[in-house]
Amino acid sequence: MRPEARRIAGYGVAALLTWLVGYPLLITLMEALGLPRGLSLEHFAEFARRPDEWQALWRSLWISAASVALAGAVGIPLAFVFARTEFPGRRILGALVALPVALPPLVGVIAFLFLYGESGFVSRGLQSLLGLEQAPWRLSGPAAILLVHAYSMYVYFYLFTRAGLARLDVAMLEASASLGAGRVATLFRVTLPLLTPALVGASLLTFMTSLASFSAPYIFGGGFRVMTTQIVASKLNGELSMAQVETVTLAILAFLGLWAMRRVDPGRSVVVGGTRGVAPSRRVLRRPLVKAGAATLGWGLALLLLLPHLTLLLISFVPPGTWTVEALPPVLDTSNYESLISTPERLRPVVNSVWMAIAATVGAVVLGLAAARLSLKLRGRLGGALETLLSIPWAVPGTVFAISLATAFSVNAPAMGRVVLVGTPWILPLAYLVRSLPLTGRSSLAGLRQLDPAVEEASASLGAGRWRTWRRVTLPLLRPAVAAGASLAFITALGDFVTSIVLYTYDTRPISIEILSSLRLQETGVAAVYGVLLMAVSATAFLVWGREERI
Amino acid sequence: MPPFLTLTDLDKSFGEQTVLEDLSLEVAEGEVLVLLGPSGSGKTTLLRMIAGFERPDAGTIVVAGEEVTSEPPEKRNFGMVFQHYALFPHLSVEQNVAFGLESRRVPKDEIHRRVAELLPLVDLEGFEKRRVHEISGGQQQRVALARALAPDPRLLLLDEPLSNLDPTLRERTRRQLRRAIQQIGITALWVTHEQEEAFDVGDRVALLNEGRLEQVGSPEELYLEPRSRFVASFVGRASSLPGVMADDGRVLIGDNRFRGRGVRWPGVASGSFAPGDEVELMLRPQGLSLADRAAGEALEGTVLDRRYAGEATYYLIELEIGGELLVAALPDSSRVGARVAVVPRPEVSPARIFGRPRGDGS
Repeated sequence: MRPEARRIAGYGVAALLTWLVGYPLLITLMEALGLPRGLSLEHFAEFARRPDEWQALWRSLWISAASVALAGAVGIPLAFVFARTEFPGRRILGALVALPVALPPLVGVIAFLFLYGESGFVSRGLQSLLGLEQAPWRLSGPAAILLVHAYSMYVYFYLFTRAGLARLDVAMLEASASLGAGRVATLFRVTLPLLTPALVGASLLTFMTSLASFSAPYIFGGGFRVMTTQIVASKLNGELSMAQVETVTLAILAFLGLWAMRRVDPGRSVVVGGTRGVAPSRRVLRRPLVKAGAATLGWGLALLLLLPHLTLLLISFVPPGTWTVEALPPVLDTSNYESLISTPERLRPVVNSVWMAIAATVGAVVLGLAAARLSLKLRGRLGGALETLLSIPWAVPGTVFAISLATAFSVNAPAMGRVVLVGTPWILPLAYLVRSLPLTGRSSLAGLRQLDPAVEEASASLGAGRWRTWRRVTLPLLRPAVAAGASLAFITALGDFVTSIVLYTYDTRPISIEILSSLRLQETGVAAVYGVLLMAVSATAFLVWGREERI
Repeated sequence: MPPFLTLTDLDKSFGEQTVLEDLSLEVAEGEVLVLLGPSGSGKTTLLRMIAGFERPDAGTIVVAGEEVTSEPPEKRNFGMVFQHYALFPHLSVEQNVAFGLESRRVPKDEIHRRVAELLPLVDLEGFEKRRVHEISGGQQQRVALARALAPDPRLLLLDEPLSNLDPTLRERTRRQLRRAIQQIGITALWVTHEQEEAFDVGDRVALLNEGRLEQVGSPEELYLEPRSRFVASFVGRASSLPGVMADDGRVLIGDNRFRGRGVRWPGVASGSFAPGDEVELMLRPQGLSLADRAAGEALEGTVLDRRYAGEATYYLIELEIGGELLVAALPDSSRVGARVAVVPRPEVSPARIFGRPRGDGS
């Protein structure tokens, strides 16, 4: 492409991305400030006057901080065990414990509900074991939210710590030992300080994910509202201006988090001085008792972490109305699955979710790839702007995007770049697309950066035109990266709950919304079937992603 | 016979930095021309410009009477061997070689025939189905050559083709490349920063420095008749001494107030100098020898270092008048720390006289 044409294309894609990503946020900010009628801080003043708003804000912050502490407490030791010891089944378990990161949050939440909820397995078991009148506990409030957060977000600490440990130069540990430091001293004075950047990175990521978390507070929170659930409640109550102000507040918090993350680069800083060392070897446990202990611990832990999903699978085979007071379900059959296939109304959300996820993924791949390509070719300020635009939706909580899109695309003013999309089948795929952009964009960038530019030049020197070079050389070489991004984008879109709940209509209701209404109707079996479906697709896509990533 | 490739007044800058300036060059059909120069001299940029990956800011490139200056690379029909080979990692050896033929929509059996013909030429029979990461660096290098040659290009461009190989492999691969190129009789431009490689493979060598062409000629011409200090010092070993032109056409060295009368050494002037001009004398190690002390026009000094290099032994002499000279002599001529005298041997390798830039005197 000629430089001028490429520049024009760059501006075109940047404009499109700005319209999709930046513009809705800007409109929300303007409307929160009372524009275009007249600039006023009235809505913000109202926000500041209400104690429940401050409470939600405070709760969001402390829940996030506590989630960081809990997720770290689970994830860091787990990473040390899997990185430093060798026991039977370590490899497969090491991969399995990373799985929760790929599952839609809502699936994890309902799995928890079925396991530890009032009528879940554990509480029923305890109830019948102890002969109690009522369930021993209610799974609600902040404790329940924190439990789910710790359970799903430990993966960040686990993955970051393992990556950090893998890059740690064994010579540093040996140097420490040769200087007389014992194992504990080495851990606290060498290993942990070197892991600090990775741990800070994981903390920020957990904090931001927790800040944006919606499913757990929505299902378990009840009256305990955090910012995300507060926003949706305001929107449902018709207080759009208040929802906008809340959205702006949450967005500011998220951007602060993004700014902090940019300052800590967890990828680079573990290896000081750029030496490429040898990672410490695993300690092979020799004493049979210790070995058995480690294996039991590893397997036990993995089972504990996977138990909610196994529960979900079991519940999906319980026919409606057959399980009342027993500790274990008396009847198991496939009637829930059959009803899903035979009832058009139940199949509808699956069809909806699938087509919307496919449309969003295709769009996000095309747009992400184009923006990544142009960003690398153009460099300079325009290239940087494209890259930033691609990464913004990653930092912004889904609720914020949902409200922004609902604000921007509920007005018909084509001259202002606004059309009515809310209420049409197009708003959800669009929302999914925007949310998936960082996934497809980042993986495209990574793939393109690994591509040797000489390979494309070689193709041109062999007489291949631009199209043939793209089709025969560039695209095949990018395939792993694009497939990885696309599979993650597809999972995200298929299981989306947080944007869907703000933007869906009855005709376009996705799986997540149907899970919610099944739960309300006490059709736990049906809800479980949807959950199993999401889980199966997500796990498959996650495995595809994992395989392609390793190439 | 008109030249096959003509470069006329090529200019190229990247931002503020001038990479090539006013470069003109002609290459005859079937000739192997080496572009030699230190890194940053613009040789790779020149090659990429000929290939069509860079556009010159000014000037023209004409091949076989046809101007190609602004043609895209895929229309030029030049073969290129890249520094890191740039083989297609997702294709087999065979598919890599066939790629250019498929681009030109050559019929299938013709492609097959051509691949079967080329692989033996680069000693790669039996490797057809291998993936490119399954073969060695030297083999990859030869796949790159076969791939570049397959579409029967008008011109072959090689960008530091041996720089990725270890030294032992480099010499053998160099021979194989040279043989294959000669066998086909293709016109080739070969970029390298290694003088020995340049002299081995090039019919002629074009020496570049800071975006300018310093000299073009056969290896002998460059070595024996360098046209500038840069050429003399870049091609082979040389030491230099500052001096002043004497009335008899020789160079007066070491004649100053503090150290008394100097010596007069002969040299071949590149350019015209008047008596009294400040000049510089460039001397090859072979053009100097160690003598007994106090012989007529000798410079005295101390052996600073002695290095045995098989074909000769090099002595680094620190002169009493200041400066150092590198002298080739027999292994038992002297030892480190000995006081020696150095005399010129113009009959073996005459010294060359270059002008000295102002302010560069010692």
